[in-house]
Amino acid sequence: MSAGPYNYSYIFKYIIIGDMGVGKSCLLHQFTEKKFMADCPHTIGVEFGTRIIEVSGQKIKLQIWDTAGQERFRAVTRSYYRGAAGALMVYDITRRSTYNHLSSWLTDTRNLTNPSTVIFLIGNKCDLEGQRDVTYEEASKFAEENGLMFVEASAKTGDNVEEAFLETAKKIYQSIQDGRLDLNAAESGVQHKPSQPGRNNLSSDQQASKDNCAC
Amino acid sequence: MLAVHRDVLNIVQAKFLSAEVVRSIHLNVSAIDGRRCDENRILALVEYNNSFALFILISSKIKPLSISDLSIETVIPIDEYFSCDTEPIEGSQFHIIFIITYKKIVRAFKIEIGLESSNFASEVIRSKEVSLYNKPIFVWLDKYIGTMSEPSHTSDLGQTDTPIIRQHIAQGPSGINRDSMLKYQLKLKEPEFTQKQEFSIFVGTWNVNGQPPSISLRPWLSCDENPPDLYAVGFQEIDLSKEAFLFNDTPREAEWYKYVMEGVHPKAKYKLVGLARLVGMQLVVMVNSQHYPYVKNISVDTIGTGLLGKMGNKGGVGVRMELHNTSLCFVNSHLAAHVDEYERRNQDYKDINARMNFKRTPQAIKDHEQVYWLGDLNYRITDLTTTQVKTLLNRHELPTLLRADQLNQQKERGNVLLDYEEGDIKFQPTYKYDLNTDTFDTSEKARPPAWTDRILWRGKGVYQVAYRSHMDLRLSDHKPVSALFKSEISVVDPSKYRRVHEELLKKMDKYENEYLPQVTVDQTEVVFELVKFRERQTREITIANTGMVPAEFEFIKKLDENSYCKDWLRIIPYCGSINPGEKCDVKLEVCLETDLTKIYDILVLHLKGGKDMFIIINGDCQKSSFTTSISTLCRISVPIMQVTDEQWRLALKDVSESSVLYSVPRELWLIIDHLYRHGLKTRDLFESSALHEEIIRIRDWLDFGSLDPLPGNVQAVAETLLLFLSFTKDPVIPYDVHDACIAAASNFQNCRQIVLQKVSDLHRNVFLYICMFLQEILKYSNDNGYDAKTLASLFGDILLRDQIRNSKPQASRGKSNFVYNFLVNDMSSSIMPHK
Ligand SMILES: Nc1nc2c(ncn2[C@@H]2O[C@H](COP(=O)(O)OP(=O)(O)OP(=O)(O)O)[C@@H](O)[C@H]2O)c(=O)[nH]1
Ligand SMILES: [Mg+2]
Repeated sequence: MSAGPYNYSYIFKYIIIGDMGVGKSCLLHQFTEKKFMADCPHTIGVEFGTRIIEVSGQKIKLQIWDTAGQERFRAVTRSYYRGAAGALMVYDITRRSTYNHLSSWLTDTRNLTNPSTVIFLIGNKCDLEGQRDVTYEEASKFAEENGLMFVEASAKTGDNVEEAFLETAKKIYQSIQDGRLDLNAAESGVQHKPSQPGRNNLSSDQQASKDNCAC
Repeated sequence: MLAVHRDVLNIVQAKFLSAEVVRSIHLNVSAIDGRRCDENRILALVEYNNSFALFILISSKIKPLSISDLSIETVIPIDEYFSCDTEPIEGSQFHIIFIITYKKIVRAFKIEIGLESSNFASEVIRSKEVSLYNKPIFVWLDKYIGTMSEPSHTSDLGQTDTPIIRQHIAQGPSGINRDSMLKYQLKLKEPEFTQKQEFSIFVGTWNVNGQPPSISLRPWLSCDENPPDLYAVGFQEIDLSKEAFLFNDTPREAEWYKYVMEGVHPKAKYKLVGLARLVGMQLVVMVNSQHYPYVKNISVDTIGTGLLGKMGNKGGVGVRMELHNTSLCFVNSHLAAHVDEYERRNQDYKDINARMNFKRTPQAIKDHEQVYWLGDLNYRITDLTTTQVKTLLNRHELPTLLRADQLNQQKERGNVLLDYEEGDIKFQPTYKYDLNTDTFDTSEKARPPAWTDRILWRGKGVYQVAYRSHMDLRLSDHKPVSALFKSEISVVDPSKYRRVHEELLKKMDKYENEYLPQVTVDQTEVVFELVKFRERQTREITIANTGMVPAEFEFIKKLDENSYCKDWLRIIPYCGSINPGEKCDVKLEVCLETDLTKIYDILVLHLKGGKDMFIIINGDCQKSSFTTSISTLCRISVPIMQVTDEQWRLALKDVSESSVLYSVPRELWLIIDHLYRHGLKTRDLFESSALHEEIIRIRDWLDFGSLDPLPGNVQAVAETLLLFLSFTKDPVIPYDVHDACIAAASNFQNCRQIVLQKVSDLHRNVFLYICMFLQEILKYSNDNGYDAKTLASLFGDILLRDQIRNSKPQASRGKSNFVYNFLVNDMSSSIMPHK
């Protein structure tokens, strides 16, 4: 039976992190549904979204985990970093506190993911230019100092949303291409074929993900 | 379906999605293939969209009462690799063996002979037949493979190149095939990214009556002024030899192909798209080479409907392709001969239609946008004699003749080539001529002339511009026929396509997201009322499946934790499956046995293949003397609930000798004093379990203080003593000396040394105080029936309790021996309680 031309050959796991209310869920929603959610409830848990994209002619399925930003969930959401190939770290350009907390998010990301994980900094809500509290230059400098990719985006208008997700994927794909990312490493965050999401992210008694693939 | 099994069928059906229909079940199946035969198995034949699978289910009950009684053991797709058989059991009149084979898997079951088994077996056999005609797709089985109770079987299926393909819409259960979904969606959107372009298509058919090619085909294939974009040229009877008939092997194929290539329009170059041949039927499809890059997914198939319903003397051959974005199918058929056999011809047509299946893109003829059906369809003119036909022909009364044409008649009645179109026939009948002449059959048989050779089409945007015969080609007893079409082909605008494709992928993702398991929880924050020592409280949360697929939920543990919830909580059930539209109540039960001031935890409710939800558990706890450390209790002078915050803070912090107010905790003294006065002679003092409320009343009496007498009967107070000693923050004998105690148990002096040197003053006091009380009890053993051994084993596990609460019913011998020493030896002289 033919595998068909529309299958994906890779799965990349992404996490979206950052303070509460910075627009993580809206970014995910904008990316997967092309819509803006004006009154999005706080995420209490970890939302799961997926979309298939194409990088260099390869179909790639993004499995995106949108984490709860509230401080009280921080300890729990840390368990979801493991095995992420990409981390989108979001702050709100109209709230300096969310920017100030970046170093703590970055520390978590560095500690809990592996060195090849691509970290992408997103300054969200750039449509609210009038309420800007963090300059582009400042954030850009922060990104540069820490070796992060960076854009300002708006989940509302969709500006740069697509770019952030796609650029991250390109970077990850590049890492695979030049061998920096070891696909066989358990926590590379990249799988070569479809498999179950979820379970493996939390419990440590994870069964090796069953692979019934025969095609 | 037997009526008695209706209820079971419904339960089995509930195990599947509603589109996955349980066609038949067989109960009481026992495995005789080395698997556990004591398990009850049920076989279920399940269909989804024309694809069948056999499920072997294990039922925890002889007759399952709910879906939770059923688990899936194995899934076997019913396709070409599947077979089933029955075998008699020697000496048994009532049972047979039902054998299922799938590649390397063989399963055998013993089943009772009867209506149920014969019904089931015939349903399975029928489904196998169906699967041979349709290329079934088994993606829908993927989700069940994950749920199979026997993982070894998964790999059985996995190792052997099974047709189960892993292209999940999402990881979770989902019944849709992403590929076909995307294709379908793209098709719907086609006008947005394509333009119609007219292509000229030349279709020709000729029954060559077994004659080898010897004349140029140009007058036929190149009769038009402009070169067509595409050729489909069909022949019948290129070889009438037995050799060709039996072995489907003929040199004529290459010869006719060569003649075709030489006969095509000289103003263009052509490239072969596909050549299909079966015995004497041959179809050659070519495109103008400038279009060749836009031809894809080429596939050919041949179907014999002749002898035995399979031989290739009659039947059809087909070539399918996609030209730009339009799927085209050409079928060249040679249907049954003889005037009266029109029903047979109808049947041949139906068989070709049903059975032709292009491997590369699993598509039936009918699935193509444009189909061109050509060939010697062999329909004749009925009810008219040869003379009548010839007379009418001479009078050019074609319409009268065409009304007598079997194909027109059968088609009108919907028996053949339904919804195909045919252009007006303005040419002479193409059969039967004397060879090398334009003269109708002059032989003895003098068959009436007929339009046996026809070209029809179906599909949008196909316009026939010519339909004719070619009288000049006199090689055969048939004349060739050709039709020229102007057909609209969808040509893709790459940039528009990219946009639509991308949009669709997004939409598909939306589908993915929609087909992810979805549930809502009625509360994400569960607050308990004041949590008190050993007083159970429950809260219920309701998980509702709001998605389209069954949701399997499970509370999972967080990183670095060893359970999915804290030891003060129980979740019942902690995992389960909820069908779409249904709900599940989950009970959260708190029972506090430690000195927490607050309970707080975040539960992670995981959906298999989907998101995780957090549920926050919150509650304040009430202090209790039962969970407080001995040393703290000895430093407070009033019931614990009367202690001010400040006093409490100090009592917890202060470890100085001077702050000790009592040699044993006040509560302990009150309990034991009560037992001294009321319980020494009570038979089985420590063996009857008190009412929960009594214990709670005693607890509150101790913790809050009261002028009333101690509530509860003496056994309840005795149990309270055991509870009190079991939950104090630290055990009476500290953990780190337990091993030494057990090692020293055979020697009282050694035991005494340990207690003197390794146990802190307050704990030693409590220990000796208890032992002295127990010695007192032993003085009344005639009344209460206790001996030292019994009390020692009762208290050994409590005074030296384990760090991890021991749920074993049997006492530890070493600890019991240790305590025993202090029950049978006089120790008043050597160790005196403090103060
Ligand atoms: N103007 C504007 N508002 C936005 C944008 N993105 C998000 N918002 C708004 O910001 C609020 C919070 O967005 P969410 O996506 O829920 O934030 P979050 O990061 O997921 O928050 P948590 O789930 O609590 O971690 C919502 O009311 C959104 O409508 C944006 O780009 N521009
Ligand atoms: Mg959110």
